[in-house]
Parts: sequence; C-alpha cells; structure tokens
Amino acid sequence: MSVQATAPKKRNLSLNGDDVRRMCTAIAGGLVLAIMTGPEGSISEPTYGVKTSLLTSHVIGYLIFGVILGCLLTYRAKVQDGTWRRIRSTPRRTLFERAAAVSSISRYALLAVTALAAALVTLIFADFSGPVTRNKLSVHVLAHQFLYTRTYGYLLLALALWFTVVNQAMRLTTYRLRSIPRPLFVLGAVIAIFFFSLTSDPFLPARFAWRSLNPAVANSLFHHWTTYLWLILGLAISLSWLFKRDRSSGTGSPRRSRALVVTPPMRFLTYVAAGFIVFEAPKYMSQYWQISLFQQIGVFCLLAIGLNIVVGFAGLLDLGYVAFYCLGAYVTAYFCGALPLQPPFHLNPFLIIPFAIIIAMLSGVLLGLPTLRLRGDYLAIVTLGFGEIVYVLANDWTTVTGGSAGTGAITNFSIHLFGVNYAWNPTNPLSYYYLLLGILIPAIFLFDFLNHSKVGRTWAAIREDEVAAQSLGINALKYKVMAFAMGASTAGAAGVFTAVKVGHLFPNTFILQLSISILVLVIFGGMGSIVGVLLGAIVLQWLPSYMNFHSYLGFQEADLYLYIGALLVVMMIFRPQGLVPSRRRRREIFDAEEGLGSADALGAITQEQPS
Amino acid sequence: MFNFLLQGIFTGLIFSLVALGYTLVYGVLRLINFAHSEVLMTGGFAGYFFLHYTIGIHPVPSGLWATIFYVVLGVIISGAGGTLAALLIERFAYRPLRRRNAPKLAYLISAIGASYFLLNLFGKEFGRYPVATSQPFNNHVVVTIWGGQITMYDLVILIATLALLFSLDRIVYRSKMGRAIRAVASDMETASLMGVNVNRTIASTFALGGFMGGAAGFFLAINQGVSNNMGFKPALFAFTAAVLGGIGNVRGAMVGGVILGIAMFTPIYWLGQPWLEEVIAFSVLVLLLLFRPTGILGERLGRTA
Repeated sequence: MSVQATAPKKRNLSLNGDDVRRMCTAIAGGLVLAIMTGPEGSISEPTYGVKTSLLTSHVIGYLIFGVILGCLLTYRAKVQDGTWRRIRSTPRRTLFERAAAVSSISRYALLAVTALAAALVTLIFADFSGPVTRNKLSVHVLAHQFLYTRTYGYLLLALALWFTVVNQAMRLTTYRLRSIPRPLFVLGAVIAIFFFSLTSDPFLPARFAWRSLNPAVANSLFHHWTTYLWLILGLAISLSWLFKRDRSSGTGSPRRSRALVVTPPMRFLTYVAAGFIVFEAPKYMSQYWQISLFQQIGVFCLLAIGLNIVVGFAGLLDLGYVAFYCLGAYVTAYFCGALPLQPPFHLNPFLIIPFAIIIAMLSGVLLGLPTLRLRGDYLAIVTLGFGEIVYVLANDWTTVTGGSAGTGAITNFSIHLFGVNYAWNPTNPLSYYYLLLGILIPAIFLFDFLNHSKVGRTWAAIREDEVAAQSLGINALKYKVMAFAMGASTAGAAGVFTAVKVGHLFPNTFILQLSISILVLVIFGGMGSIVGVLLGAIVLQWLPSYMNFHSYLGFQEADLYLYIGALLVVMMIFRPQGLVPSRRRRREIFDAEEGLGSADALGAITQEQPS
Repeated sequence: MFNFLLQGIFTGLIFSLVALGYTLVYGVLRLINFAHSEVLMTGGFAGYFFLHYTIGIHPVPSGLWATIFYVVLGVIISGAGGTLAALLIERFAYRPLRRRNAPKLAYLISAIGASYFLLNLFGKEFGRYPVATSQPFNNHVVVTIWGGQITMYDLVILIATLALLFSLDRIVYRSKMGRAIRAVASDMETASLMGVNVNRTIASTFALGGFMGGAAGFFLAINQGVSNNMGFKPALFAFTAAVLGGIGNVRGAMVGGVILGIAMFTPIYWLGQPWLEEVIAFSVLVLLLLFRPTGILGERLGRTA
C-alpha cells in the first residue's frame, strides 16, 4: 500500500463522477432489491407491485442497504487507489498482538486463554444440542452433557476452530496483515456469528431448550426489529466483501496471499470435525430439516459435483444437465414397473443404480460425440434442446412414460441379504441420507483424485487452450466426451435416489429451470473447486427453504429464480471465479482478461483470425 | 396438408424475425444472446398494454385503415419495448464483462442470468399465467388455396414481416450504421482504429435485433396471448433457424426461419402428434450442426455483403 508515501495529506473527500455513479448504482441496486422482494402485481393491476414496493415504508430498509453498500464500495475503492487513507492511519495493534509481543510467557498465556475460550464455546455448543427437558443450567447438567458422544465431536470441532484461529493470529503477529480494514473484520465476525445463530434453526429442539433457559436474550435476538438491521448491515458487508475485485493471485501481483497455512494436524482435525457434522449432526435435527437435508441438499450436492466436471473441469457449458437426471429417474421407474411400458424383469432399486449410471453415461456419450466436435457455444444450445426433448417426451409420450399424470409407485430400497433384512421407509429420512452419503463421499474423492490426475491436467489444458493441447497430441474430443459422460452418469445416479425417495415421478420436476439452478450452485460456489461447489450447493439450497420457512424479508418461494438470475449477473460482473474458487480457475480467469489463453473450452471471442 | 405448409411458412416468418436478433448479435460479438427470448416477451407485453389501453374491451375494430393503424403502431411500440429490453441487457449483462475482456463462459452465464431475472420479474409483476390480448382486427379467412386457409392474421404477418425484413436488410447493407455494424463484425479492433464507436455500434446491433424481436413478440401476443414465458420456445426455434441459415448472416436468418417453419409443421400432417414439432426442430438442429455447422448460406455478417 502506498498509503505511507502520501502521508502528509489529510484525509480529504475528493469525490468525483465515478463515486457519484457508484453511489447511484448501489442505491438503484437497493431499489431493484426492494422491487424484487416487494408484493406481487397482476396483469389487471400492472403497477401495483412496483408502486407498493417503492412508495411504502418497505423501501426504507433497502435504501439504507443501498447507501451502506455504496459507502463501503466507495471507501474501499478510495483506499485502494490511495486517495483516502485508512480511517486509522497508524495501524493500532490488537490486544492479541500486543500481548503476544511482550514475552513468550504472555504468548503461552494467550494460547491458554484462547483454548479456554474454545472449550467454553464447546460447552455452549454441547448445551445447545443437549436434552430438551431441562429447566436450569447447572454443573450437573453440564457434566451430563459429556456423557453424550456428540460432545466429543463438538470438542474436536472447537479444537479445529481454535487451531485455525490461533494459527491465523500467530501469523498476524509475525507477518503483516493490515490490508483488511479492521472495522470490517470485526463487523464481519459479528455478522458471521449472527448468521450462525440463524443457522441453528435446523436444531430447532435444541434452540427451544436454549430459549427456555434465557428467553430474554433469545427474544431480543430473534424477534426484534434489530434483527432486520443486522441482516441489512450483514448483507451489505458480505456483498461488498464478496464482490471485491480479488486480484491477489493474478499474474505479477505484488500482494502476498493471505491464505491460511494448513498444517497436517489442522487438516486432520478439520476432516474429523467435518465428518462429525456430516454424520452426527443430522440426528439432532427436526424431521422437516432431515427431509430437506436429503432432498434439497444431498441430492443437489451430487448433481452439482457432477455438473462441476463438465462446467468446472472441462469448461463446457451444459444447459440440459437435468435431462440425465430425468433419465436416471425414469430408468428407475421403468425397472420398478411403474411406467406404462413394462420391463422384461423387475429389479431392486439398488441394482438399478448401475443400470441408471450406464444408461445416462451412454446417452451422454451419444449426445456428446457429435456435438462436442462443434464450437462450444453450440453445445449450450444443443444441450438445451436435448433437455427440452427429454422433458417433452416425459410429458407427452403417454404410452411410454405415463405423460403429465406422472408414473406409478416406485419400489423402495430394501436389503435381503445374508440374513439382513432392512427396508427403507419415508418416515425415516435419515436412512436415505446415509445411503446417499455412501455414493456422494466416494464420488467427491474420486472426482478430486481425477482432477489431480493426468485426466484433470488434460481437462485444464483443453479449457485453457484447446489448439495448443491438440498440438501436443491430446485427443480433445475424447476427454471432453469423457467429462460429459461422467457428469451425465452422476446425474443418473442422483435420479435414482430422487425417484425412490419421492415414490412417483412427475415430468414437471425436470424442467429447464432446474438445470439452470444446478448451474447456479456450481457457479456460485466456484467452478472447478469441489469444496466451493459443495458449499455453494449447501448454502443456496438451504437458504431458500430457510427463508421461505420464516418468510424473512418477504421472501416468496416463487421469486427464487428472480434472485438466482440477479445473482448470476452480479456474480459474473464482480466475482466470476465464485465463492471459494480453485486457485487454478481464478488465475485462468485473470489471465484470460489479460488476453492470455481462455478460461473455458468455448473458443475465443475477440481473437478470431481475420481470414 | 397445404394448411400445415402455410402454417409453417407464417410461423417461420416470425421465427426469422426473432432469428435476426440472434444472428446480428452473433455476427458482431460471436456470442449467443441467451436473453433474446426476454426481448420477445417484453415486446409482447408492450403490445398487450398498447392494445389493452386503446381497444380494451371495446369491440374489435373493423376496416382496412383501422387494421393498418393498430398494426403499425403496435409493431412500433412493441419494437420499442424490445429495443429497450435489448439495450438494458447489453448495458448490464454484456458491457461490464466486455470492459474486463471476460471469458466467453461468463457472457453466456450472465445472459442466462439476465434472462431469468427478466422472466421472473415480469412473472412477479404481471402474473405467471397467459392472458389473452385484445384483437386489433377481425381474424377471418381471406382466401382459401387448395384447402389451405389464409387468415387476416397470416396476411398481416406476411406483409409486416416482409416490410420489416426488407427495411432491416436496407439498414444493414446500405446505411451508415449498417456499415459500422458490418465493420465491427469483421474486425472489431480495426474498426475502432478507423473511428467507429464500437460500444455504440454494439448497442445499435442489440437495438436492431431487439426491435425485430419485439415486433415478433407483438404478433405472438395477438395470436396466443402474453405470459412471462411466452418467449422461451419461439426463441429456441428461432435460434435453430439462425443456425440453419448460417448464424451471423442476416439473409440466412430470413431464409432459415421459413425453412425451419416448413420443416417443423409439415411432418405433423403425417405424424399427427403436435408435440413432436419440438422434437423435429431440435433433431434438425443436431443433424445440421453435424453435417453443415455453417448453415445454408454460410456465416459471417461482415463478409456476405
């Protein structure tokens, strides 16, 4: 930062046209958001929706949001180009840093204190998920908590948390970290905590218990107008953070990466904590969220990592992805005898899974072989057409698929093997969830392995520069078809799970919008990064159902795609690499913007040869 | 059978109007404008409101001059609506990315996002179900040739579309703006060195395509009413038409629309299943891309003059 060089000048408000425009854009964005969240209009009263959104008190929160967002963006832009200095020009050291600098004893004391704090957090967590029938908090109750295995999981979680915090804090003391404005940091932390308290909703019984312990705090936190203020602030801050132009790992950047250093014990603990959350935590959720966890989150995680191979790894745009999902589901229905067209033999759903995978894969190859030869953007439209054809066939070919009335009943999963008899049934949604994990987790590791293998490197070479890759003897078509077929087969597997859980299929489930929303999961999380895609799937699938559940900020289920559309545009403008981008993808996007190579296998836009 | 053929031709004319939007943008930017279906829809809604506030529940106006008045004004207003939508899409979904020289995937995705945003915004504000439009003229049968009936609606489409296509052809190949568009299409950098304002030329390309799309939306609105997803399928077919004629080629789009219309509707006479027309259209698209990806008349907007 060249802040120190221009030190003698006092902070002056040198606003120019750009700043005014930025502010106006932010406020206009707030107003658009107000319209988006406002009431619905109708064709007989076409202005009702807009008028009510803009001329009632509804708009105030969004105006505040726009102004805050504009201020934050202006502040950051000004600080970055050096016209403004940071609010605190001489960086004050935090308590942590000062204490750590005194002596080694104080540093160890500090470690002990943080450890204690982490333990306390653990206790509170454990308390959170404890038995519901309690009236007062006592040592006896706390001790009781430790008898539950989950407490140890929370302990590990806290330990991982603590390692992360301490590791990062220690780095702060030895290296410089002045580039994050401190107020943003603190506010961001507060917001994060607030959001976390919102996320505790799936653990509804636990929260009721907590509420009955201290109702005053709970009420002020959850049922007060300040909630909305926090939400607005949090949105503004997280947006301004999310959409900043992150050029830190572009080529030739002078800024050092602020990435966490992951030490082996930390990684191990993180795995353990993640495993704990994935396997143990769902048991304490209410049934509503258990169903949602399987149907909304789990299945979509599988779909998203499948599409990630096509879009993220190979750089191809597939808009008919849901067709393979549909195919998988209808193959299941076929072999269960639920379609008007009867199969030669009936199969147990477990045995259908490989069939569905193979059929989806074959259809992927059949569609991919001819079309993947073409320029990439034709692929998008052909896959769109394919998705539409599959939907039309499912909807209208009544003699084979049952048409829009849907299929008959699909048999459930069951095991009758070596004396083990178990039948899955919908009253226990978690059984499906664990079954899905059985295919999701291997898939995650397999795809991660592929990405780091020769195949993954070939995909990267093709999407960065297809001509160069081919000149090195790579058969680009083969690898593209491979990516396409793998994505398709993953969707086919997801189709089996959905079909069995839902019990009977309707073609309306498999509309084009679903393809787009899966694409959004991939793009939001970060194309090419499996962690990012999973995170994107979890956040974007959970958030709508959560907001719908509580109708936060006037959220309506029907408007979901409105938000998704806006999110796509904003994301592409400000943060094309996604929430948690893979390092390679991020560099590719920046390189492409500098005119080096391309970040997808779609062919160049401007560098076309004039012949 | 002749009836199906005629239906194909007249629907095909609407397709070619929409296809022009794709082909113009593709010719200049080498991008498929995924948000073009929403241009169509905006035009349809503009036409709906025009007819709603002028005719409304009054009886259908009769007489030649009334028909001409409502159709011409309706096409202009719908076209203006489509132009506005296309310009907004260009401004918010394309220009910020162009400024950064973003990869192609980013354009496609932001166009899809803009499309979904508009689609659902209209759905939210105007309802999500189709609404019938007030009719600007009596849709009676004018002539019957070999059992094929040509209605007033078909006649209006034929005349208006041919007029629009002719004037667009003149604009692209004879006017100063058209020359700028062709210059940018053949080489963006050189054109900008020669003093062509590239941004404005791209915007005018979107505007021209938007006008045609909006006008097509007007005709669709008269025929089948307006709804927020009225644009999706016609736009998909129109894209197929644009590829059929050779994407990036203005005259190719005009021919491609009619050929696709005929290819889609005539087989229904034998097959008897109306829903098969989509399957036929996309099969045509896939086969075409396999065997002649440059279309009937070849590509390149800049080089066909």
